[in-house]
Formats: sequence, structure tokens, C-alpha cells
Amino acid sequence: MDNKAFEKLLLSVQKPGRYSGGEINSVIKDKEKVDVRFAFCFPDTYEIGMSHLGMKILYSQFNSREDIWCERVFAPWIDFEKVMRENNIPLFGLESRDSIKDFDFIGFTLQYEMSYTNMLNMLDLAGLPLRAEDRKDLSPLVVAGGPCVCNPEPIADFVDLFFLGEGEEVDLEVIDLYKEYKKKGAGKADFLRAAAKIEGVYVPSLYSDEYNDDGTLKSVTAAGTAPEKIKKRIIRDLDSVYYPDKFVVPFIEIVHDRAVEEIFRGCIRGCRFCQAGFIYRPVREKSVDTVNRQAKCLCENTGYDEVSLSSLSTSDYTGIEPLLNSLLEWTDSGHVSLALPSLRIDNFSDELLEKIKHIRKNGLTFAPEAGTQRLRDVINKNVTEEEIMSACKTAFEGGYTSVKLYFMMGLPTETDEDIKGIADLGQKIVDLYYSLPERPKGKSVSVSISVSTFVPKPFTPFEFEPQATADEIRRRQQYLKSCITTRKISLSYHDSSTSLLECVFALGDRRLCKVIEQAYRNGCKFDSWTECFDMEKWTAAFEKCGISPEFYANRRKDYGERLAWDHLDYSVSKDFLIRENKRAHNAETTPNCREKCMGCGAGCYGEGVCIEKR
Amino acid sequence: MKNVRLFYSKTGRLKFISHLDMTRFMSRIITRSKIPVWYTEGFNQHVYMNFALPLSLGFESVYEVVDFRLNDDGYSLDECLQRLKDAAVADMDFFAISEPIASVKDIGWAEYRIDFEENSENIKPFCGFLSRESIICEKTGKKGKVKQIDLIPKINGFTEDQSSVTLRLAAGTEDNLNPSLVMSVFFEQTNTEPFFYSVKRIAILDKNLKIFK
Repeated sequence: MDNKAFEKLLLSVQKPGRYSGGEINSVIKDKEKVDVRFAFCFPDTYEIGMSHLGMKILYSQFNSREDIWCERVFAPWIDFEKVMRENNIPLFGLESRDSIKDFDFIGFTLQYEMSYTNMLNMLDLAGLPLRAEDRKDLSPLVVAGGPCVCNPEPIADFVDLFFLGEGEEVDLEVIDLYKEYKKKGAGKADFLRAAAKIEGVYVPSLYSDEYNDDGTLKSVTAAGTAPEKIKKRIIRDLDSVYYPDKFVVPFIEIVHDRAVEEIFRGCIRGCRFCQAGFIYRPVREKSVDTVNRQAKCLCENTGYDEVSLSSLSTSDYTGIEPLLNSLLEWTDSGHVSLALPSLRIDNFSDELLEKIKHIRKNGLTFAPEAGTQRLRDVINKNVTEEEIMSACKTAFEGGYTSVKLYFMMGLPTETDEDIKGIADLGQKIVDLYYSLPERPKGKSVSVSISVSTFVPKPFTPFEFEPQATADEIRRRQQYLKSCITTRKISLSYHDSSTSLLECVFALGDRRLCKVIEQAYRNGCKFDSWTECFDMEKWTAAFEKCGISPEFYANRRKDYGERLAWDHLDYSVSKDFLIRENKRAHNAETTPNCREKCMGCGAGCYGEGVCIEKR
Repeated sequence: MKNVRLFYSKTGRLKFISHLDMTRFMSRIITRSKIPVWYTEGFNQHVYMNFALPLSLGFESVYEVVDFRLNDDGYSLDECLQRLKDAAVADMDFFAISEPIASVKDIGWAEYRIDFEENSENIKPFCGFLSRESIICEKTGKKGKVKQIDLIPKINGFTEDQSSVTLRLAAGTEDNLNPSLVMSVFFEQTNTEPFFYSVKRIAILDKNLKIFK
């Protein structure tokens, strides 16, 4: 389709800037002069996908190679999808506007389970068969990475190859192997067999499942020379690994519209519900100098006036004070503001507050996650009520009047007493505010409580746990609502049917592929958007396939049961997870990685916190 | 501190950028260019910018004007222009920079070329429509109030060629006529099936019809 006709259609939809391309720092190459064309697909809208750091890193890294041209692709919103289908516009790369069907790779980053139907929709819009077995040619190869890939079984039938762990090295190894196979005219099967030998590559078609009579998984068998266990990849040295010196700067406002500088990977804490805290082990930090240099360079090249430090727990960065000092040297005079997300309550110091206060004053967010000390011990969120109170006191005395608190509902061993604890904690914070002589004068306090539903995830100590049923979650939500008696506290919570599906697809096996395909055929897409989500279509899909979602979500599993992801090795051992699960049920906390090594298994890499002096 | 006026074109892929997005975008271009730009001094400091005449989403323009300030009075404007060009993207051309001559309040008119594309048979009827004594229509104001207005006093001449009509329309803070309103009134009052047209702003003029500089 010529540009003029295309642009005419763009003017008929909302936010055409999502599809126009041509942003600052977007990369245009001559397609005749590259060997590999890579469509980097984010299965959600432009505004969400463009905020994702992993995509920015890999986009720039691939494009730093002369022989690769990587383009961005996002899920078109409903209105534009309609226009595309009516006018036979296939899914295209934003840079070239060429159909991605003719690319060498179509790579998805899978950040949350509720984006699976969007992945199918995008394959369909590209004009490709959904199932890997129906795509016979070597290219385009459909590949995927991201945290969801730690249990990719529910989407294993659609993807040719998964990248386990961090992508900077393994992705390029696969691309190089592909170039070699493409040159010699080899077929897809040959290539996949060879790729499976690269560490961190999982080719699902080389593995077959068997099930027991009770529906549980019996075995997963590798074919030929494919490894029995597939080990995730990590980057050993964050100071020398590629990091972009520029980001594509969108025209339209996106969710995180700022420069982002990663300061470390992994997390020392080991909160038992948190998947990221386990699958990204071991903790590896960038040096203060690297962070400072890269952050400055990013701001200069993008024109952003805000830079955010990114990690799972910013205040655990060992060099946080010297880092802030060196950043503040240039951010202030350069009219750049600094954002510090993911601060922990227990090391939220006066000095730290002084520094961020100096920069920008918006609300403060803390995540106690559970309402009582007992339950916080169960989940190993090593934060005490005293620490929460003292952090709020510091904040209020520093001029803050609103605090946001994150909690989870449905955690293992949770009782109504724990639910009431959430409301009580909120009330104590309100009372604290009014007890302070130094509170901001004449202003009211506002405490926002946001409650999400606990979803047990693979590679966490709670992988054996059942999720509370949707009805039970609804009951607990109503109970919590009844416990809140002041208007100074506002409460928000999530829809429980979405959480059920998240749980099913986080913990599920290969038999769910047909459910996802059926749900997609029923019209499901953008499932994480309330205006698009339709549980009835999902229920119909489960029924048609004869599969019970409760079997996956609401059943406690024995420690001995084979789990769908047991053939994948994310370096934390199952023995460790079982030990942690037992400690959880005894409400026994576990020290963090810097205090004591608990032998989780991540030490096998001999990097980062595992070899620090304690 | 010195006031400067930057002239640029906004075409191609950039026509999908709304005015609000454009302000953010321009601020980033200016920051990237590393010129000694002046920031506002309030609580939320930002690059000071003043756009002469906002452009609707979907329109192209070869004559856009934005004012900002330089901290360094002696800073070379040629250097400034070159740095801005280097920091810009395709489809945006910074073609001139100077100290402002007229005030933004002096803007009175703007010229738009409406390209009829494959519907050029409508050019004659359209010119006929523009030649009426008066074109009374309803316009919805910002506060949702509907009022009756006459378009003719707001149209200061037009020229046609084989595929397009160039209109000179009232522009500025006091009175402003958007070419899409002219087109929709044309469709409505002549019972013409609406068709696709594209709009390009050709010039911004002061009240005396001189090029705004």
C-alpha cells in the first residue's frame, strides 16, 4: 500500500502517532544491505510497549549491528485493527511499514499472561498461521522471551523458539546461527535442532508431554540431542554489557515517558510471592560510574527532562548515596529531574528523603503487601509495622500528605484477621498523621490502599500453593471494604476473574494452548484492558476444550508433583523452593542475600552478590 | 536574555502529531540541540516556548513559527539553527531563525492549500460556494455554546489550480477559521458526499497581509 493511502487511513483512527513511526532516534536502514530483519513485537499498545526497557535495550543493540535491522511492532488498538482488516493491511514494522510476514524473525516479549491472545492476534494480522507446526519455512521464525517464558508451556504450540533469561547474548547467538543456516539453504527443522544446543534456547517442538490419569503431568521427554534441562542465560558483567546511549522518543505521551537507567538486576530480598525476585538471580550491580555516565548520555540524546533509576529495589543498591550525589551534580543544572521508584520502607532514610524531596514532590508509595506481621513473615516481606510507621512519619514531617499502600489479597494462610489488618494499618497511618505536631498545616491526609489478588507463580516458594477462588476473593474484598470506616482512606482492588486466568496461564501446561487459541477465536484480545476483557468468552473456551481452570489455579500441589516448568532451569533449585515453602507455613522469615546465603542455587554462576563478602 | 523566532516545516509523518504532543516534542528537540535556552523560573521549570499559531492534527505546514529565549545574548543564531537542524527528525525542517519582528498578536490571516486529490471535479462547485454573498453556519464554541456565524468575512480571497484551492482565512487569537470547518460546511450546504482532502499551511500573515516574521 502506498504511503498516501496509508496515511489517509491513519487519519481516521485515534492517536495516529501510535502507528506513524519517524520518532527521534528511530532507526531506518536500507533493507537491501541487511542480512536479518527482526520484528520486535510487544503484544500490547504502543504506549505500554514503548515504556518497556527490555525492548529499548534489544532494539538498540540489534540495530548497532550493521547486518541486522530491528523494527518495532505493537498491537494495533481495536479501531486501527478494524481499518487494517478492512483494507487488507498486514501487520507492519513501524520503521519501514513493510509487512513483517517477510521478516526473518518475529520476536515477542511476554511480560504478562494476559497478553497471550494479543500475540495470536498479531500473528494472524501478519498473515501467518498461529501454530508453529503450520509454519513450514525457515523464516519467519517466531521467537519469544521475557518473564512469562519461565513457564512457556501454555503458548508452546505457537512459538518456534524461546529465549530463557537475559537476551543480550543469546539472541545474537541465535541470529548468527540463523544467518549460517539461511545461507546454506537449510530447513527449519535442522535449524531448530541446532539452535536447541545453544544455552538458554528452548525449542518446545523437541519436547513431548505425557500425563497421569489424574490429569497431572507425568513426564516431559526431549527428542534427539535436545538437552533434558534448559538453563537460563544471565549477563555476567553489567558494566560491559551493551546499554543504549539513546532511546526512541515517542511523539505521543507514553506510560513511562522518561529516560530509564538500569542500576542492577535481581533482588536480594526473596519475598516469597515475587517471581522477579527469584528468576533474575543473582543480584548483579552496575558501578556508580557506569550508571552516571549512561544516564547522562541518555538525557542528552533524547532530550528527556526526567531520568528514572530502574531496578527491583532501588534503595538496595549498595552505592545509592554516592550515586545520587554524582547524579545530582548534573541533573539539577540540566533541568532534569530524578525519579526513584521501588524504594523500600526499611531503608528509607531521612537523607534519601531529603534528596528526592529536593527533586520533585509527588505522592509516596509503600508496599507492605500484607496487613499483619504474621502474614508479612509468611511472605518474607521483612518489613515491620514500626518501620512502616516511621517511614510515614518521615514522609509526613517532610511535607507529604498522601501515601499509597500496596497490598495483596489471597496470600497463603491468609485469614479474615489479616484482611482486617489492612484496614487497621491504614487507620493507624491516618491517626499518626493527626498526632504529629509538625504535619503540613491545614491539610488533610489521604491514604490510598490498593489491593491486588495474589497469583502463585513458577519458580517461587509459592508455586505449590492454590489461589483462593474468585468467589472467595470477592467475599474478602467486600469484607475489607466493610472494615474501612473513614473517608481519608480510599480503597481500590482488581477484578478477580483476570487474576484467575493469570494464575491458570502462569502455572499451566501445554494442554492450555488450545484454550488460548479457542479464546482468541471467540474474540478475546487486550485481556488486560477492562473495556475489552470478556470472561464469558474465556469460560466458553475452557468448556469447549473440556478443561477446568480450577484444576490449575485452585489445587494445592504435592512437593513431589511434576510441574510444567520442571525441565527449565532458572538456577533456583526446587529443594530451595520447598525449604522456603515450609518456612512460609511456619511464618519463619529468611535473611536476604547480603545477610546470609541460603543456598538457592544461583551461586552456580559465581557472580554478583553470591561472591560478595558478607 | 534574547527572544528568538524559529521557522520550520512540519510534513509527512509529523502531520500525525497533535499540538499538545508537538510542544513536548519541540522542547526535547531544543534540549537535544544543547543551545543555551532559557527555562521558566517557576515551580515546574521547563523550556519557555510560544507557538504562534497551533496546527491541527492531520495538517501539514511549510510555515510554522515558535518563539523561545536564549540565555546568552551573544550566541550566534546561525550556530543555533545548525544545532537545531542536527537535533531534528526527518519531515521537520528548521529553515530560518531571527529575532522577532511582529508580535504574535499581529497575526491576522493564514493561507492553506486544500488538495482535493482524486476529487478535483469538486473544485469548481467549491469555488462557487466560496463566492456566495454569505455563508451562515453554526459553530460550536469552546464552552459548547452553539452560535451562528458568517464565514465570508473570514475568507480573504482564494485561488485555484487543477487539483487544489488555496484559501486565505482569518487566523490568530481574536478570530480564527479552521479550513476543516469550511470544508464541512461546504459538504453540508451543497449536499456533497464528504471526500478525503489534505491540508497544508502555506503561510502565516499579519493583519496587513504581510508575511509574519
